Amino acid sequence: MKIPLDSKGVSMHDYYTETQCSWCDGCGDYGVWTATKRALAELGIAPHNVLLCYDVGCNGNGADKINAYTVHGLHGRVISLAAGAKLANPELPVMAFGGDGASFSEGVGHFVHAFRSNYPITFVLHNNANYGLTTGQSSSLTWQDQAMNTAPNGMPEHTLNSMDFVFSLEPTFVARGFSGNIDQMTEIFKAAIQHRGFAFVDILQACPTYNKFATHDYLLEKCHDISGDGHDTSDFAAARALAVDTSERIATGILYQREDLPDFYERLVPRQGKKTTAVDEVEIQSVKGLCKDFI
Amino acid sequence: MSRISLKVTGAQGQGVNSVGEICGKGLKRAGYCVFGYREYMSLIKGGHSSYQLDASHEKIESSETRCDIVVNFNHHGLEQNYADVKDGGILIHQTPEWKFPKEHQKLLDNRNVTVVYLPTEDILKKLKFPPILGNVLITSVVWSLLGQNDEGLKELVREQFGHKGEELVKKNFMCVDEGIAFAKDCAAAAVVLPDADPSWKDHLFMTGSEAMGLGIVHAGCRMYVGYPMTPSSPLLSYLAEIQNDTGMVIKQAEDEITAAQMMTGGMLMGTRAATGTSGGGFDLMTETVSLNGIIENPAVFVLAQRPGPATGLPTWTGQGDLLLAVNSAHGDFARLVMSVSEAQDAFDLMPEAFNYADVFQTPVIVLTDKHIAEALYTQAPFDEKKATIDRGNLVTDPKKLAKLKAHDRFDSSAKDGISPRWLPGSKAEPYCAQGDEHDGAGNVDEGAENAVQQMEKRMRKMDALKTALPEPQLLRVAGCELREGIDTLIVSWGSNKGVILDAIEGMEGVAYLHYSYLWPLKTELLEELAAKAKKMILIEQNYQGQLGMLIKQECGLEFDQKILKYDGRPFFFDELQASLTA
Repeated sequence: MKIPLDSKGVSMHDYYTETQCSWCDGCGDYGVWTATKRALAELGIAPHNVLLCYDVGCNGNGADKINAYTVHGLHGRVISLAAGAKLANPELPVMAFGGDGASFSEGVGHFVHAFRSNYPITFVLHNNANYGLTTGQSSSLTWQDQAMNTAPNGMPEHTLNSMDFVFSLEPTFVARGFSGNIDQMTEIFKAAIQHRGFAFVDILQACPTYNKFATHDYLLEKCHDISGDGHDTSDFAAARALAVDTSERIATGILYQREDLPDFYERLVPRQGKKTTAVDEVEIQSVKGLCKDFI
Repeated sequence: MSRISLKVTGAQGQGVNSVGEICGKGLKRAGYCVFGYREYMSLIKGGHSSYQLDASHEKIESSETRCDIVVNFNHHGLEQNYADVKDGGILIHQTPEWKFPKEHQKLLDNRNVTVVYLPTEDILKKLKFPPILGNVLITSVVWSLLGQNDEGLKELVREQFGHKGEELVKKNFMCVDEGIAFAKDCAAAAVVLPDADPSWKDHLFMTGSEAMGLGIVHAGCRMYVGYPMTPSSPLLSYLAEIQNDTGMVIKQAEDEITAAQMMTGGMLMGTRAATGTSGGGFDLMTETVSLNGIIENPAVFVLAQRPGPATGLPTWTGQGDLLLAVNSAHGDFARLVMSVSEAQDAFDLMPEAFNYADVFQTPVIVLTDKHIAEALYTQAPFDEKKATIDRGNLVTDPKKLAKLKAHDRFDSSAKDGISPRWLPGSKAEPYCAQGDEHDGAGNVDEGAENAVQQMEKRMRKMDALKTALPEPQLLRVAGCELREGIDTLIVSWGSNKGVILDAIEGMEGVAYLHYSYLWPLKTELLEELAAKAKKMILIEQNYQGQLGMLIKQECGLEFDQKILKYDGRPFFFDELQASLTA
């Protein structure tokens, strides 16, 4: 394996910035950040040829830690922002990053409709099972009964079964990674970026400061790369079972993918056959023909 | 001014709109300026609704409270709208053996109203036609009583039903003939219209929403994202309807927040995008308005007003959201609030809205209301030579792009606070569109000095914007020289424009100052005129007189009289005239 730190083409170094990372020691964000740069470099995508969209949360603090066109928007809204950007210029790869708080509480509606719409973007879920940036409140993916910042007696709500939920939305791409496995994340991201449609990537990541239950060591122990197991990624039922059942081990890798369905942009009849993007087309448009209906 | 009016009432879904549309278009083609006004309730079928047409050989953009002809599809109209008929007018109905209560009959007698019973059912039975054909029959009766000939009507009928086959057209023509015969024999004499003016014939008969949709298309907007909410829905529906002609990206989002965010993303990427909603939906969008303020992203929000609070009067009109638009969203940032007033500037002002958004890299909120959105205007063909596209400090030239540094994007020393903007995908140093306070490149910077510099940079745009905006328009001064010796200065905005101009027609010493650009608020011309006016009148469709509040806040000026209306109905021209002369 050759890591493209410096190469003649696009290198990881191109994504380097002088801004210093502000994450806690041992935070899973470092791994996702590194794998993102590496996947983009390995795909030969130059920093000016990608838009990376960040939600608000610890991951969002990475928006200015990578040399690319980035946007750091509002909490819970990153998928909608990214989808809008992509529809305006489908030629540019668009990735969105958000946490479990943003995706399963504040922005759960956007999350649901992203699957329905099959927007051609990649969504990376920074899944550390709590609200880190606001100092460790429970999210809907926190384990029930865990004592958290605003739930000193333990979180009373039950934990959302996120993968069962995701599969109920008829996804076209589902992958799961672990923030400690950069090689695997890199491969997943590359496949996600190239996917036709909405690519959902669940990254289980350590939050050394606030998550005392699913720790780095715990994830290291439990996560299992399925790439050698002969899993058929086109088998929806098998993928769902693999994704949902985490009792013995947590299956990681590309769990499910289908590319026979057109993505949202492809389904837009007015855009079919257009060689230009909506960005290229900003010019005075005549409405003379349309006015005929009103005479 | 010589004008006539016609009102059709009935249950929603009964065909009220169909009769109104055919008569409206027909009168326009016959050489009249027609103004259409619809009232309906927030339900699909059965609610009482009306469609009013006012017509003149001269320009009119308002409705009258009473009509020359009132057509009632059912007895609810007879109960609720009997008093809407003018002296000597005609009331047409199709309710067999209807008897008015004594009081009502007395009023009709006093007004010399001719009541005409149209036996629609019997006529259709005789022809062996289904009830749906009754609409054309009624239309034909009304058409005849307006003194119009059958040719124009038949042409319209063919246009409407031609695609459904010649058989149906024939049947409809038979209904037209029956209607003409009935009108000839009935007790009512035809309403006398002023002489037609053929110059109206080539005009467009359209709603404000349709004009705004065309303005959006014309402005080079290539993406529209909305979520249904009256009265913004007709704009979304129209842009959706014409999408295969325009090639635009049209998306009905899962909620208003999504709509605002998708517009933001589209704009950030570099296209022209817009979103639209009404007050409640705009409440949800406001956090996104704020985001666009700090990331200095052009953004266009259409806010179609209806009376609140909450669901309020969902299908009625009002102007209660001006202060919402001006004060919405957290934090200090530059914004433009503007308002359209009728079909003409619903078209003309949309390219302006996008230009201001692009030039000042900040949110623009375009106000409209239910009245503009759904009223029908007789609109001169649009002048396509007026609008230009100004994308401001957008850098696209490869040589210039190569020279840019990331820190130029939000350079706090930029003149007027307007720094260069370049788009994702441009071969240049990339930057972060950063929602946190940031330095020139968009890197988070929580330092005190930087916070001051960036705030001042962004707010300098507000000063530059205020300088760039045109003063309010002094629209008509009847009987006195411009700016000299004005007796009464009326100040208003939005959809009131049409009715004010109609109402002050011919009034001596009355001038109207119309605000299209509402925030930042220019007051220089206003103050100059106020010093010369003997009386200042504020006209608004809200309880507090919100523009008046802004004016007082900005220049201390107070009004002698406030004519405020907040019952969900627009001002009617005779009603406003009475208030002005009281």
